Amino acid sequence: MNTFMRWAGFIVVLFIAAPLVIVVPMSFSNANSLQFPPPGYWLGYYRAYFTSMDWLIPTWNSILIATATTILTMALVVPATFALVRHKFRGKGFADLMMLMPMAVPHIVMAVGYYSYFGDLGLVHSHLGVILAHTCLSVPIAFLVLSANLKGFDRNLERAAQSLGASPAKTFLHVTLPILRPGLVISSLFAFIQSFDETVVAIFISGRDAETLPRKMFDSIRQEADPVIAVISTLLFVVVLVGIAAPYFASALRSRAPKPSRPAGAH
Amino acid sequence: MGISLSKLTEKTNIWPWLLLAPLGIYMLIFFVVPLAEVAIMSFTEPKVSLANYQKVLTGALYQRVFLNTFVTAAFVTLCCLLVGYPLAYLMAHSKPRTAMLILLLVTMSFWTSFLVRTYSWMVLLGNNGPLIALLQMIGVDKPPQLLFTRFSSTLAMVHILAPYMIMNIYSVMKKIDPALIRSAESLGAKGWSLFRHVYLPLTAPGIANGSVLVFVICLGFYVTPVLLGSPREQMVAGLIGHQIEEFLAFGLGSAMAMILLVVTLIILTIYHRRFGLDKLWG
Repeated sequence: MNTFMRWAGFIVVLFIAAPLVIVVPMSFSNANSLQFPPPGYWLGYYRAYFTSMDWLIPTWNSILIATATTILTMALVVPATFALVRHKFRGKGFADLMMLMPMAVPHIVMAVGYYSYFGDLGLVHSHLGVILAHTCLSVPIAFLVLSANLKGFDRNLERAAQSLGASPAKTFLHVTLPILRPGLVISSLFAFIQSFDETVVAIFISGRDAETLPRKMFDSIRQEADPVIAVISTLLFVVVLVGIAAPYFASALRSRAPKPSRPAGAH
Repeated sequence: MGISLSKLTEKTNIWPWLLLAPLGIYMLIFFVVPLAEVAIMSFTEPKVSLANYQKVLTGALYQRVFLNTFVTAAFVTLCCLLVGYPLAYLMAHSKPRTAMLILLLVTMSFWTSFLVRTYSWMVLLGNNGPLIALLQMIGVDKPPQLLFTRFSSTLAMVHILAPYMIMNIYSVMKKIDPALIRSAESLGAKGWSLFRHVYLPLTAPGIANGSVLVFVICLGFYVTPVLLGSPREQMVAGLIGHQIEEFLAFGLGSAMAMILLVVTLIILTIYHRRFGLDKLWG
């Protein structure tokens, strides 16, 4: 049983790895169709990506929208998380559950709602519309990360600061905030990625004017499978590789493996 | 401000509401209202009636799409389990270095945009791709069409959703006390029987978690089935999008969306009663 599981495991490793790495050689291919292995190699599609407004504008839109979404999400979620973790009140259980609801609703359902609702409000095909929608979708993951951090917070540290004469505001600025910083950074990062990767709602509401990168990629894959997609895929892959492998190897040096987690429902 | 506020709270109890209010109002306007609009449209577009639901629940096309969606989601969940269980096992019972490398790979896959992974499968399964070439090499003269079939969309969905299953099962396996296994062995359990009666039941919570998560995500999956699947075998999310984009049939699309939503919420409610929803996303 043991040997069988091990062999099966190694085959699965290949199954998981192959699609991740295949985009790298594809991005250097000089074929204009999905040919693998590539007939030859060049950098032409990299040049095409970095000089084409058709791709750079959606990339910029995505960065802009994800940044604004992150700021708005954190501004709303941080106070709410303090309320939900540190206070007991009637209806708290319900409020906790409501925080997770956007994760439970399939994105296609929200997309239909936003398409119609933002249509009435004149917010379709606008950056603002996508930001407002993405903020809702980012709330649950930001809340989950932050509340886990806040629950593990040793409040004696705050009491100690106050007993030494720090005012509540000073305590918050100099004790609470610095201790929570990793949690804040990670939940901001999750909110950013949630927005940057979000495809379905963006397909329906971003339109030509606020077109995000995932929407552009989706349209391009659907229509002509522009080889530039391989370039973007490789770039995104490298960002993830650096973002994940770097902390991993750093922690490997300290011989401690972090636990990864990721929000669901993004599909 | 957490401190100053919390001190006041015990007396006044208004602070938590003040802190919650901005988010609460925001969610009301930009989450609850659009969702309610879908519910309303399903009954009122194009005119007030139950016609949309009648059409969706009795029309042959819609029935087939819903059935196809459930069957696909169940099959993808099963495949994720078959793929994920051995890998989680390998991770939980390898040397730390091997385990960490696999964990790294699964995490990479987790975080890689699913559009990227969908595109990769187009390359792998395409007519000029490596899999077809391999089939020709081993002597298959007329290799079957792999891309834009049920096969390609299912395979890609399994690949995309497997990390959810793997992480859930792995986190349970890691916590299994080796003493339990040793004592079962000392009592004479071995091989299949050890697995069936001791190991498998111990990992059941992880299997349940992963399966619910994969099944629910798969039910509402839009991107991958639309890009990789056969146009004749749509899943419900794809059909909803089609109705809205092509025909502007908001009523019909909304009715399907509501059914999808209700089914999803029923599954998650059952899960929430038993385990608690916050556990699902680890």
